Amino acid sequence: MTVLDLAPVWRPANHQALFRLILDIAARPGTLADLSAHLGDAPASLAALATFCDNTQALADLTGTLDETAWRFLDAQRAAPEGAGFILAAGGTAPSFTPRIGTLDAPEGGATIVLLVDSLSEGPPLTLSGPGIKTTNTLHVTGLAPDWLVARARWCADFPMGCDMVLTDATRVAILPRTTKITEG
Amino acid sequence: MFPTDTMAQGHAGAEYGFAFLDEDAKRELRRTIFKAVCIPGHQVPYASREMPIARGFGTGGMQLTLALLGPRDCVKVIDQGADDSVNAANIRAFFALTCPGVSGTTLTEGASVIQTRHRIPELPLRKDQILVFQVPYPDPLVLVEPNAAMRRRMHGRADYARLWVKLYEDMVAFDEITISHRYPTRINGHYIIDPSPIPRYDVPKLHQADCLYLFGAGREKRIYAVPPHTDAIPITFADVPFTVEEFIDRTTGKRHCCRRCGATDSFLDEFPDDAGNRVFQCSDAAWCDSRLTVQEAAE
Repeated sequence: MTVLDLAPVWRPANHQALFRLILDIAARPGTLADLSAHLGDAPASLAALATFCDNTQALADLTGTLDETAWRFLDAQRAAPEGAGFILAAGGTAPSFTPRIGTLDAPEGGATIVLLVDSLSEGPPLTLSGPGIKTTNTLHVTGLAPDWLVARARWCADFPMGCDMVLTDATRVAILPRTTKITEG
Repeated sequence: MFPTDTMAQGHAGAEYGFAFLDEDAKRELRRTIFKAVCIPGHQVPYASREMPIARGFGTGGMQLTLALLGPRDCVKVIDQGADDSVNAANIRAFFALTCPGVSGTTLTEGASVIQTRHRIPELPLRKDQILVFQVPYPDPLVLVEPNAAMRRRMHGRADYARLWVKLYEDMVAFDEITISHRYPTRINGHYIIDPSPIPRYDVPKLHQADCLYLFGAGREKRIYAVPPHTDAIPITFADVPFTVEEFIDRTTGKRHCCRRCGATDSFLDEFPDDAGNRVFQCSDAAWCDSRLTVQEAAE
């Protein structure tokens, strides 16, 4: 029997482990998950996409960091950010698009935006509140253009419609579901 | 008695991929669970796969559990609070067959994932635990609106006027709200969910909990979630407080107690014993057993 020497990020057992870490922090916005045990050489952003993407999904890569191998394994259709279910974007660059935010009847159609930021442990604090947070939670981010938070507030203004954000640095992830209220400071 | 590891009954020779479902199915379930957690209370549609048991027997909960489980998990399955009733026993045997490496337990505190039918364990769940509900009817609006597309519209707009009318009609006819289980519960101030057929007694446990609650309706192809620390308010009127089962003995005025462990603060099952007398017993078997163990140790 031949055993494929897959990179860790493409192994199903790791997808399960990654999903549990991501689910745990999605349910508790502002907490961080360290994915490094399952990454190999891959960045956390690719691990997040690998957990969720397959050939039924449309993905927009605005960073140009996904190489041909990653695209083949993800197997997602390439799409413009306006029509994509998953968007990979750089946090340092202000958004120049409007993502899908779903409809009142089907808010689950809102996009999941995976944002690359510099660090999730340094930088000015963001105070989070909402479902999953007992009182408030604090998230520190560097490398996130302020326009992202302004745009997110606009996209998520009409619950249940909105988009959900996955913030990633090299090895760690934080999730901002559409329900999370963010105040700076 | 159960062995300590309830999964130690694995059948050698059974060759399935880990957790039975193919990777695409699990990935779709995981995407759906993610969106369900991000939109608390919203019923997210998904492609409910064929399972080797009939729809309506817990396939939604099974698919959720299979999408969650990894070799380091410890799983507990309960049906009406008991580990040994037929639905729980068979689902547990299925996990043992298809999830090699996953351990099992009957102890609530020992499980990382608990799949349940119709109860929430008495022991408060921790933040590192996930409770998976088997849901027969996910939509509370089905009582008042037959058209599924219309129900989706009503949910999106949080238009629950007709549900309130149903409660009001109960008050007019019976002087009380007559919903005993599946009590409509408002999540995060927007969506009203059917919390599956848990008794009223369990509904307050959904509110601001430490653990994550996931609901899977396999036949109806819907997944929804109540994240931790999220408001979950059973709907009622300002002058009609929400009440839970009290188990008061009308002859003595006192609360019935469990015939095994003597508990007066647990949800009780009522049934006739061999002599035809009404008896009461904790519905949560693990809770009852743990109380008995403590009492025996004290003697």
